[in-house]
Amino acid sequence: MTDHPRMQVPDVSAQEKLNQIEASVSITLDQRTQRVRDRLASAFRLLTLEEFRGELTAVTTPNELLALLQFCKTDPELACELLTDVTGVHWPGGTREHRAQETTGWPTYSVEDEGRIDVLYILLSVTHGHRLRVRVSVPDDAAEVPSAVEVYRSASMLEREVFDLMGVQFAGHPRLERLFMPEDWVGHPLRKDYPLGGVAVQYKGATVPPPDERQY
Amino acid sequence: MDLSSAPEFTVVGADWQELPDAVEDNLMVINMGPQHPSTHGVLRMVLTLDGENVHDCQPVIGYLHTGIEKNLEYRPWTQGVTFVTRMDYLSPMFNELAFCLAVEKLLGITDDVPERAQTLRVLMTELNRVSSHLVAIGTGGMELGALSAMLYGFREREHILDLFEFVTGLRMNHAWIRPGGVSVDVPDGFEGRVRTVIAELRDRFGELNDLLTDNPIWIERNTGIGKLTADQCFDYGITGPVLRSVGVAHDLRRSAPYCGIDSYDFDVVTETAGDSYARYVVRMRELEQSLRIAEQAVDRLSPGPVMVADKKIAWPAQLALGPDGLGNAKEYIQKIMGESMEALIHHFKLVTEGFVVPQGTVYAAVESPRGELGAHATSNGTNKPYRVHMRDPSFVHIGALPALAKGLQVADIIAAVASMDPVMGGVDR
Repeated sequence: MTDHPRMQVPDVSAQEKLNQIEASVSITLDQRTQRVRDRLASAFRLLTLEEFRGELTAVTTPNELLALLQFCKTDPELACELLTDVTGVHWPGGTREHRAQETTGWPTYSVEDEGRIDVLYILLSVTHGHRLRVRVSVPDDAAEVPSAVEVYRSASMLEREVFDLMGVQFAGHPRLERLFMPEDWVGHPLRKDYPLGGVAVQYKGATVPPPDERQY
Repeated sequence: MDLSSAPEFTVVGADWQELPDAVEDNLMVINMGPQHPSTHGVLRMVLTLDGENVHDCQPVIGYLHTGIEKNLEYRPWTQGVTFVTRMDYLSPMFNELAFCLAVEKLLGITDDVPERAQTLRVLMTELNRVSSHLVAIGTGGMELGALSAMLYGFREREHILDLFEFVTGLRMNHAWIRPGGVSVDVPDGFEGRVRTVIAELRDRFGELNDLLTDNPIWIERNTGIGKLTADQCFDYGITGPVLRSVGVAHDLRRSAPYCGIDSYDFDVVTETAGDSYARYVVRMRELEQSLRIAEQAVDRLSPGPVMVADKKIAWPAQLALGPDGLGNAKEYIQKIMGESMEALIHHFKLVTEGFVVPQGTVYAAVESPRGELGAHATSNGTNKPYRVHMRDPSFVHIGALPALAKGLQVADIIAAVASMDPVMGGVDR
């Protein structure tokens, strides 16, 4: 089937691109991460870089977010052509139980937290094959982040999703409207203070509580 | 788009001629979908038309929103597989794999997953890619009026779904790939069946190829439709066959391999035209590449465990087929109920509470039939996910519809959307 004349790929530029991609793949993940790390550290001196399970996260502020994204996109060393994902994680305020990581016995300690929402941007470089995560934290009662639509068009849908489900305002977004929920919906379902809802399931002589009230 | 001041017309039959006279700037806003046979599910598009020409196309989604991400936060990690497999219903194996890879990464057991489980994952996902592409090509054909393409595509897909049923008990929504491995080993006679199916499919792809590839109507309807450039694809975050159809050989199986898939021999298929026809050709050629990988995977299958050795994580996988379906094997029940109280306690705790996952955030992605399918998982160090976001390629691709549809005619939108192959279950989650 592949020798069919319509199924041939004599294109040279695509092959060149492929060779380029293959060359970068031969570099190990660690080396790639280190290279990205060095480049970012030299360009943005105040940037915090975190590494977890081989993934690099650049922690920045809403004010510097767009400059950082623009740099990641245009810098030939980083060359993050794709903004693959925008998502949010809500950490409500109050006292929280923390579990210390990388220790035996999982000791817990409690911390007092201001409520915040982490907005995460995941960038992918097709040329170099590396990934980079950019994180900004905003207070959850006044969550506002500049929109990245001017840098990456894919942010348009992704930011609308985060707005709809997490209630983050993206300043400068051309069409920040509800996406999944109906237009007149009240509240943002993926926030932690938004209840899951559900009903108890009744069996003969017993009930199973709704999922958000189960004790395990 | 502010439509509140726009005049509304309800055309009921005899008043067709009054409508164009009443519209001032010749632009009409027409709704298409969500209940429409050629919108690939429940996609709704609000089209701004000048006659037949499309000025603007705004997708409206959310009709299949089921709150899967919220639901995940209230169940143990392993139960999450049952939810995510229902998102993109044409590629359930990929959903499960992306989610499980993220959980394994958080647990730090990525390298501990046994060889046989990895090979089986590769085998099943590549077969799933074939079945998904067959639906994409088949329904794409149907939407353009080539009904036999749909019949051929679905007939071939059935072979693969039968295989899935043979292994997992279900044709879709398998929940077969689990954190740490797979839920149950393949039954006896599986290798032989896979080889037969692969040989048969090779033969049948020729028929589908004869039906469409040189078909003048198919070529006319698809060539030059929904053209995208590489820059546009990057800008809109497009991955998968659509990105490969513009000549960019980007494939996560090469650039960020999972389950050792880089050790298999296959080609990354590219085309250069970037139109609907090129996307069709990419999918058609990927069918063969996936079968190649599947063949190699069957050859590699060697006996061994299919779940990690760590008993604190490994979901009980001693399953057997009984008269009432798949369940725990008799010997295993005998052991936990009759011999070892510790084993019973362990089983009970693991199945009700699950396992604790260290806190942190990871992102794991696989190359699904539609592009990069990623799972962004955050754990706060408990037995349930704190937050899981699934990055579905269909959802991101829907965002490119306005760019894709601009300048097309209404009938061509069908071809353009079909070539993007969005699956609404994945778009809305």
